[in-house]
Amino acid sequence: MNRKRTLMPDAFRTKKRRFGADNLIGNPEHGDVQEGPPDVKATLQYLMTLFPRKLFNDSLPQIVLKHQLYSLHSDKTLVDKQVNELRDQGELLMFQLGFDSDTFALVFSVDYRAKVLAGEAGRATLGTVEKFLDKVLPCCSDLSFSKDKMLKQFLFTDAEITQLVKSGVLTVRDAGSWWLSIPNSGRFTKYFIQGRKAVLGMVKKSKYNEILKTDLEERRTTSHVKLHMKYHVHDIIGAELVECIQTTSGTLLRFVDT
Amino acid sequence: MLSFLIARQTGVDEPVRLRRAESTRRVLSLELNHDRDVECIHGNGINTIDIEVIEGRYMLSGGSDGVIVIYDLENNSKKPHYTCKAVCTVGRSSRYVHKFSVETVQWYPHDTGMFVSSSFDKTMKVWDTETLKPAEVFQFEGNVYCHHMSPIARKHGLIAVGTKDPKVQLCDLKSGSRIHILQGHRGEVLSVKWSPRYEHILATASTDSRVRVWDVRRASGSLFTLDQHNGDKSKASSESVNTAHDGRVNGLCFTDDGLYLLTAGTDDRMRLWNSATGENTLVNYGKVVNESRKGVKFTVSRGCSPEFVFVPCGSSVAMYGLHTGELVTMLRGHYNNVDCCEFHPDYQELYSGGKDCNILAWVPVLRHPDTEDEGAGSVKGGAQTSVNPAFEDAWSSDED
Repeated sequence: MNRKRTLMPDAFRTKKRRFGADNLIGNPEHGDVQEGPPDVKATLQYLMTLFPRKLFNDSLPQIVLKHQLYSLHSDKTLVDKQVNELRDQGELLMFQLGFDSDTFALVFSVDYRAKVLAGEAGRATLGTVEKFLDKVLPCCSDLSFSKDKMLKQFLFTDAEITQLVKSGVLTVRDAGSWWLSIPNSGRFTKYFIQGRKAVLGMVKKSKYNEILKTDLEERRTTSHVKLHMKYHVHDIIGAELVECIQTTSGTLLRFVDT
Repeated sequence: MLSFLIARQTGVDEPVRLRRAESTRRVLSLELNHDRDVECIHGNGINTIDIEVIEGRYMLSGGSDGVIVIYDLENNSKKPHYTCKAVCTVGRSSRYVHKFSVETVQWYPHDTGMFVSSSFDKTMKVWDTETLKPAEVFQFEGNVYCHHMSPIARKHGLIAVGTKDPKVQLCDLKSGSRIHILQGHRGEVLSVKWSPRYEHILATASTDSRVRVWDVRRASGSLFTLDQHNGDKSKASSESVNTAHDGRVNGLCFTDDGLYLLTAGTDDRMRLWNSATGENTLVNYGKVVNESRKGVKFTVSRGCSPEFVFVPCGSSVAMYGLHTGELVTMLRGHYNNVDCCEFHPDYQELYSGGKDCNILAWVPVLRHPDTEDEGAGSVKGGAQTSVNPAFEDAWSSDED
């Protein structure tokens, strides 16, 4: 019978809402709680629009960090599941940027391919890079590759691996293994870390270490903040570097001292 | 709620469904109640609490001053306001009291005649509750961080002890021997827990970032180590291959059915594992602040559906849904860091103790009497559905 299959929490849906200011239900901007399961792809596309393309002269694909999705959806496990599904389908690629073992960058595969090939056009390494993109990426959704794997499974030679590292598609992880990476993403990482520090500094300097989210987004950015302010705000909320408190005047961001 | 009652009455639903629904509703409404108090005996922070399983009446607590107190949780006075009184204490004046802080206390799982406490004075004492004298003292070489007795064991009386030594020691209550050791960890063992499902399965957590699951009958090493990446060696840097957390693992808790194991680590993460296969279920709880140098004692609710995890997080207790990972609420009330919490399954109450020397009781809020039915309200021509009885128009009638 259908009755026996329904989950208990349905009976308590109305009662759960009574928790008021403490309840960390997600961003009213997206109204995600009222809808069904979170649509991660649509959120990704929205976040991609926040990425500044001309800052990098259009040489980088649009990068979104995985934890920025957590700031827009309340159920982290579902978000993770959907991201993994998209990765398995080959639509999304995940990278380790290197500054934190827990931070992952997400790029749409189409974007990545286009930008990498555009960057490689006219260079000697183009052939190897194309071979890598065609052979390795569709079948293997790993973040890093070991020497064994490259030589035996994918039949790359040492010289070809050196070319891939030179072109920026692979970055050294430790002796005999490499991370998958985005070419020329060093500048992005630098601006990102600088900007994150500056935005967190803005929150810290505010009275009582807290600031309304709308106020923060409207603040004039210093020269240290080169990416979009909203991009950074999603990042600090998703990485739980600030606490999100719902107030009658909107969302309040309070600095978390750890 | 009435629908559940009627369904049980008519036999449409099983009785356990009503019980689970009401338990879950009660757990979702946990709050500090000014009618319920626990007497404040400890002069220093409280490190550990244990509620006995047989009656759920007596609670043990161990503090940083080495003092052990037994409280009576049952309300025999007819008044709603009740302070849980201390029945007896092993205070600083006792000859046998621990010299340094008591880290773990546990009642003997089969009756309250005995309890075991372990402390930073490198001893573990087995106490007789009647006389409050230790019947047995086990001496160790390093600080004892934790110990645990299997709650379901019939064939053995082993106490697993985690100390500064990487070897996990098993002390036998029946014979007093301690020759059985489990080797495999490379750092201090911060937490040990027996499985509530199989009496020979033990999980241990250590500062070397690894969690090992052992079958004590097996002569060779552990059964498996929990791997946070589920064998996907590409995801992390090469140092963190095969580790459960990226920092020290200092909390372990099995769910009541023994099918899942929760671990908490100083990388501010909590992970849920399938205890049979060791697979990381990848439930994302977000940042679970964990700065403890010793073990963190957290607990899982029992008898609800879905289950909830209560984790001490700084000076509050965070309540997460077990399988969804969402933060349900933060229970705020302590003045300082919370060190331990324990769930009372029969009354769906939570007791938490911390550095502010208080044990707080979180009691489900009583159901408010329902206001007038919505249907009748709307028939009265658009009147408000919930009207305060003081403002209700009690003398004019609708007919004229």
